[in-house]
Amino acid sequence: MKSATALMPQQWTARLDDHCLDLRWSPDGAMLAAMPSLGEIVIFSPTGEALTKLPGHAQGNGSIAWHPKDNRLLTYGQDAEIRVYEAPFTAAPKVKVLAKAWAERAEWSSDGAHIAAALGKTVAVLDAKTLNKVRGIPEQRSTICDISWNPREPNEFATVCDGGVRLWKLGRDEPTGHFDWGGASLISTWSPDGRWVVTGDQTPSVHLYDVRSKDPLHIQGYESKVKALAWQDKSEWLATGGGRMITIWPCNGKRGPRGCIPIQLKGHMGDVVSVDFGPSGELLASGGRDGLVLLWMPHKSEKPALISLQQREITRVRWAPAEGHLAVGTEGGDVFLFSLQS
Amino acid sequence: MTERTPVTVLTGFLGAGKTTLLNRVLTEQHGQRIAVIENEFGEVGIDHELVINAEEEIFEMNNGCICCTVRGDLIRILGSLMKRRDQFDRILIETTGMADPGPVVQTFFVDEDMKERLFVDAVVTLVDAKHVWQHLDDSDEVKEQIAFADVILLNKCDLVPAGELDKLEARIKGMNGMAKVHRTINAKVPLEAVLEVGGFNLDHAMEVDPKFLEPEYPFEWGGIFEIPAGGASFTATEDPDPSMKLVLIPVEKADAENLADAREKALRIFSHEAVETQPDGILTADGELYELILPGGDIAWKVSVEAGTYAVFTEHYPEELNLELIGNTGVITASIAAAYKPDHEHDEEVSSVGIEQAGDCDGEKLNRWLSKLLQEKGNDIFRMKGVFAIKGDTNRTIFQGVHMLMDSQDGGEWDGRPRKNSLVFIGRGLDREALNASFRKCLA
Repeated sequence: MKSATALMPQQWTARLDDHCLDLRWSPDGAMLAAMPSLGEIVIFSPTGEALTKLPGHAQGNGSIAWHPKDNRLLTYGQDAEIRVYEAPFTAAPKVKVLAKAWAERAEWSSDGAHIAAALGKTVAVLDAKTLNKVRGIPEQRSTICDISWNPREPNEFATVCDGGVRLWKLGRDEPTGHFDWGGASLISTWSPDGRWVVTGDQTPSVHLYDVRSKDPLHIQGYESKVKALAWQDKSEWLATGGGRMITIWPCNGKRGPRGCIPIQLKGHMGDVVSVDFGPSGELLASGGRDGLVLLWMPHKSEKPALISLQQREITRVRWAPAEGHLAVGTEGGDVFLFSLQS
Repeated sequence: MTERTPVTVLTGFLGAGKTTLLNRVLTEQHGQRIAVIENEFGEVGIDHELVINAEEEIFEMNNGCICCTVRGDLIRILGSLMKRRDQFDRILIETTGMADPGPVVQTFFVDEDMKERLFVDAVVTLVDAKHVWQHLDDSDEVKEQIAFADVILLNKCDLVPAGELDKLEARIKGMNGMAKVHRTINAKVPLEAVLEVGGFNLDHAMEVDPKFLEPEYPFEWGGIFEIPAGGASFTATEDPDPSMKLVLIPVEKADAENLADAREKALRIFSHEAVETQPDGILTADGELYELILPGGDIAWKVSVEAGTYAVFTEHYPEELNLELIGNTGVITASIAAAYKPDHEHDEEVSSVGIEQAGDCDGEKLNRWLSKLLQEKGNDIFRMKGVFAIKGDTNRTIFQGVHMLMDSQDGGEWDGRPRKNSLVFIGRGLDREALNASFRKCLA
């Protein structure tokens, strides 16, 4: 394994109150929001300055998300409060308190007009400006594990619960699509071109649903449950982490990954928990429970370069919108920024 | 691997006293930070504790095989708890009265994240001593809650006569001989008895129930009496069954050795055909097995023997029918007595089988045997625990199984104790002889 220390040196480090749950760059790359599992959410500048600290959610933070087009930041947590801030964070946030339920995931629609918040066995969809609830979905048989909006169709989102995935459109009370396999899926993501909804499952598997053809594909053979999913921006490649190996599936053919040989990347000694393609789609970063942060050029080499080895597990790797800056979070609450040398 | 956090699973049918125990855990000074996962919704912080709700969601995997079902809500909630720097000393999970404890326990065997960071310290089952009889025969949940338990609290004991409690405890121990049973009122028990169980400790289980590995007897009770000249009478006032078998055996003196000798004679006599004996009939000590007919009301039988020391063995506990031996000067109490593991008290469906063999096992044979057994019978085996002496290994090896899932760990040194193999199966329709015979083939 080649060292990328010279190639991608550490620029700065900071410490959150607790385990780093997520890192999100603002669309212009000027701010990095870092959320611990418990405690203050910190907004960093690309140079590592803590621009502001936002109060954490009582009983634990859930998710953060930047508005897709501007500098509004949404935070959500187990107090079931949706808070929408606007940079530079001088004004109090708009707040919507939802009913008490398991509250872990909230996301903006692709046009930023709506926010969907998973709330126990249902979803509350809010108008992004007023935070008024504009619709919900009927109560499902089990808790909603994840929500993802269709990047190409701002009125459509997918929920993961109850043995599979359901697709919902605003204005329709019944789901517009059902992908039921009977098992438990945990996380989901929608491909940037809107064609695929993909889930990481409790069983060591991945499900890919072709939204257009309604064709489900079950990919098995992972070492453990799949915790990491990432799309390359052109939707040609899907990186998956389930166990120590990263498996990259080609998805641009008519039949998607069906019948294709994936790229398999070996380098981690513990489960891979986060993967992210750089903006150009050439670079892939990965973080694992082994504390390793690795840099891959999957289409050129199966050998990684070592970006960093931490004492604690890596929880998140996230490229900035301008390629070259990689934010990394750890179980101990450390946040690092590594930058590619030109 | 980081140090794992102990998890206590609290089960019990509706109204058995789970909430009472939970409130005690939350309010008593025990010096531990406990996160409680409850059924009812509403997250409430109580001092340093944390109470979180769960909705008992089952994640089904592998086409719904019962061994592969885990609790999705627990994975979600515990996963979130484990991400906090400020860790808890212990996690207590309360299940609903109708919950099958299987998926809860399996979660800690199946899910990699849970397995690495948490372990089940104990399954604690509360049993409503007054009302459980209504459910013991027809509720799978109640049977499974008892079968999975490491600790059983026989609660509301103040509402049940001692004889009935003995009978209930015998029935429960027939189903799960491994669990430590406490009799409680208002779930009052030292908290360390439910919070510091220490996970798997088979030695402790053997200590608790010495009868566990003993053969089963066709009688529940035996005692030695001094019968004066002129004889005595057995009297009874209750008739829980239409009849009860009894045998009288002369012994030399009232001590444990004589009682044990007489027990073996009684075992042989109990295999004979019984002589039906109506009330006011005569009982002697000449090797006859009597079947006392219990028509109801106050009844008596004359004991016609010479003055001396006699052992008496009864099919049921004497308390169940208020059986007393009356001499010329009043009630004669037994000088020494013992309770026996009754074969007829075994639940037809759920029972436990203990096996103990001195010597060393062949590790490979043991692995093959356990894997095959759990694969073939895993649906019916709720839990399996064992401490093994493996040839070539200086330490003890501990195996635990839940349905088809199995896990082994180093059990530490033998510390001068004799090397032996002790294992327990709790399950449905277990064949004691077949299990014993097949295990013996694993010996080195």
